[in-house]
Amino acid sequence: MKRISNNLLSIIIILVFGFLIFFVSTDGFQAFTAETARTKELIEEKPQFPNVTLEDSKEREYSFSEFSGKYVFVTFIYTACTDVCPELELNMAQVYERIPEQYIGEDIVFLSISFDPERDTPETLEKYRSYFNSDGETWRMARIPDESELKNLLDEFGVVVIPDDSGNFTHNSAFYLVDPQGTLVEVMDYKKIEEAANKVTAILEKKAGEKE
Amino acid sequence: MKQAIYGFVIYIFMMLPPVIVISESNMVIHMHMQMPLLIVIGMLFTPLLKQKFPRFFEKWNANGIPGIILFLIILSYWMIPRMMDEAIASPFVEAWKFISLPFLAGVPLRESWRKLTPFVKKIVYVFIAVLFGLMAWLYIAAPVQLCNNYLISQQKALGWTFLFMGLCLFIYFIQTLFIEDYE
Repeated sequence: MKRISNNLLSIIIILVFGFLIFFVSTDGFQAFTAETARTKELIEEKPQFPNVTLEDSKEREYSFSEFSGKYVFVTFIYTACTDVCPELELNMAQVYERIPEQYIGEDIVFLSISFDPERDTPETLEKYRSYFNSDGETWRMARIPDESELKNLLDEFGVVVIPDDSGNFTHNSAFYLVDPQGTLVEVMDYKKIEEAANKVTAILEKKAGEKE
Repeated sequence: MKQAIYGFVIYIFMMLPPVIVISESNMVIHMHMQMPLLIVIGMLFTPLLKQKFPRFFEKWNANGIPGIILFLIILSYWMIPRMMDEAIASPFVEAWKFISLPFLAGVPLRESWRKLTPFVKKIVYVFIAVLFGLMAWLYIAAPVQLCNNYLISQQKALGWTFLFMGLCLFIYFIQTLFIEDYE
């Protein structure tokens, strides 16, 4: 009898222990991949967009503070990419179209940042831009020529880029929304266009309401 | 005692920084070489531990069920895609992997296996085969990158190795149904 109860007791202890390690390691059964954990952490941390110098498709150079006072909708891409990036940018274009026109350029700017500055010269970006109907003004495509600035930004925003043997990169993708003070406020699933557009529009409407 | 020494040597070897780098550079090697080896190391330590603490195992793992549950929990735990990333990113999780797999999976597996009834053993085979099948499906079919530190092609390769291992286990399970166990 005593042996059985010991067995039962240790089973209970083990089950509780198992539950606990699963619970703690997945943030309460919410984040089973490092990517979901990263997104959750980013939204909680709200990192500041580091001060980087951008060079856009029209060969203009400016720092990120150019956009202060406006929301910035950011994605990270490289133009030689054949799978995720075109989809990411096509979805971005759809979000762009869904945002009420009066906000575009005034309260929000779209920005695609290339993490492959070597190949993505302004000419390449200019060509790439035209595929997605980006006007180069309210939706800009830019590279960050300075390597350490780029690395710093990718680290801050948790973008993991791994080069592979054939000159491509494997990378995680999302829509990022930076507020007028340069703080990252939202990280959104790039596959949920409607949801992202609604969220951004709501934020813009709220801001417009405050101004009045 | 001899086994424990072998286990210890492999354990130290697996902990060498260059060995860690190599064994974690590829998803398949990480999941199907490093992790199983850590379990094997635990199994090699088992006789020594049983000799040192005979009462503990008899008292708390009399019929082998608690031990095998612990083994299955730890095994499933390290299948979570996030844990592979975290083990690479955080030294604490890495240390946790090196402790939990040998001592909370390897030791209880060997300690419990002999005590289990054939029926429970069959359940364990099926459980692991199903678990590996699910992992295969997850890693092959996932449209997104599950681990930020690995390429999608490696993810797919891992899925296929899971399928292969799951199938092997399942075939082994099927033969146990027809062929008498002489152990």
